[in-house]
Amino acid sequence: MPNTPDEQLKPDNTPGGIYGTDGKPQFFDDPAMDRVVAVLMEITQTSWAQEERILALEEANGAEKVDREERLNEFINRTFAPLR
Amino acid sequence: MVVELQHEMKPNPQADELARQRFVSGIRGFILGDLANDLREAYTKEVEPAFSRQHGRKPDTSNEVHAAMRGNMAFNVYSAMRVKAQKMVWASTEGIVHRELDRLNEEAAKVEGKPGSFTLNPDMEIPRNVDAIDVHLMPGSYTRGGTSLESGAVYDQGLAVFSMGLMGENLDDIGSTMAAYISNKHPEFQPRRILDTGCSIGHNTLPWKKSYPQAHVEAIDVAPGGLVYGSARAKMQGQEVHFKQMSADSLDYEDESFDLVFSSMFLHEISRKARAKAFKEAHRVLKPGGLLLHMELPPNDEMSPFDGFFLDWDSWYNEEPFYKGYRDERPSDLCRDAGFEEADFLQFTVPPVGLYGEEAVKQAISDASDGSVDSKNTGRLTDGMTWFGFGSWKR
Repeated sequence: MPNTPDEQLKPDNTPGGIYGTDGKPQFFDDPAMDRVVAVLMEITQTSWAQEERILALEEANGAEKVDREERLNEFINRTFAPLR
Repeated sequence: MVVELQHEMKPNPQADELARQRFVSGIRGFILGDLANDLREAYTKEVEPAFSRQHGRKPDTSNEVHAAMRGNMAFNVYSAMRVKAQKMVWASTEGIVHRELDRLNEEAAKVEGKPGSFTLNPDMEIPRNVDAIDVHLMPGSYTRGGTSLESGAVYDQGLAVFSMGLMGENLDDIGSTMAAYISNKHPEFQPRRILDTGCSIGHNTLPWKKSYPQAHVEAIDVAPGGLVYGSARAKMQGQEVHFKQMSADSLDYEDESFDLVFSSMFLHEISRKARAKAFKEAHRVLKPGGLLLHMELPPNDEMSPFDGFFLDWDSWYNEEPFYKGYRDERPSDLCRDAGFEEADFLQFTVPPVGLYGEEAVKQAISDASDGSVDSKNTGRLTDGMTWFGFGSWKR
């Protein structure tokens, strides 16, 4: 397919500076911050997976069953409250 | 919540994988709910007043809002987290698909002889916008895994995480809602031949076959893997659909050979040039009295600059380069330029049938609305959401 302007794989009139030197979206002035956000989300996801494991072990030992969605909402709201 | 797929190729995630998927769905809900509200508040309280002080007027366009929002903390946080969450959608499914690909092949083989088919075109040149970028940030895009079940499985399982339960138990709410709207509003319309263009895995094709079981249904896409997967998926659900690898802008069908040409969330994925050709091709293959119907994102000129910016975000940051260009076009112009009469144009918004039930669809019809877009809720995955549909009858 010809590489006409219509076929450029970026939106028309893309503003300068919205992508980093790697071509990926950059939001913070310091690109390290974008990476830190991604790292924090990975850590939080892993922390939640561990939380579910603990819940499963506790329930296997007779604890009352916990609604996962409800607990997850509490977990997310508590963890990310400083961003609000 | 993570939707459990309704067919035999549904994944068997380990406990840890399910927990990770649940987190991704939950964090998307937080971003698209709480953080999106913060984004609007930041715009209203900080960004718009600052723009007004500088320019003596409010922002007029999505682009102006975008430029003004850049650098705002609420925008930075929302955007960085949304990009990462999108990547996590696919990361949460890929390992499962790779581990289970042999089982998926076995399941697909079991239904091979059931009604329905797929036909691939090995000579087809895949458009760059499908093959050369990671559309929706999905690694390898729709062509990953070639003709294997891989891309379809990643997409299907990813959508189950991405949709947060708002796109139906069978991920078919768009098709179901559109079919419910048309069958209730136009009960006299009984299409015998239906074409779904840009169908990916055919999840929104199936409701048309369910609504019009006597109809012959064809579904096309340029990416082969999704068609192979979609065909097996349709057979598992007892729906006879014929999938073909074909481009919507170059249909290998005779003139006046379909009663309904449909698409869902497809037009914004293709270039302006391809889009115009696809409309002309749809006009060509429709029979007189037939219907062109597209479910899509609402156009920018029917939304506030902020709400337009909110939707256009995907164009800049979610590898959907034609998304904004499409939303800047007027649906009625697209139909008219392809040969449809202006008087035959239709557009509407309708609540999702899966969330609000068929009565809500009937109510939307009986309200006889003019099809106006609800700037805050149309085309969004949120409480009170509505889908947007438009098209034209062919004389």
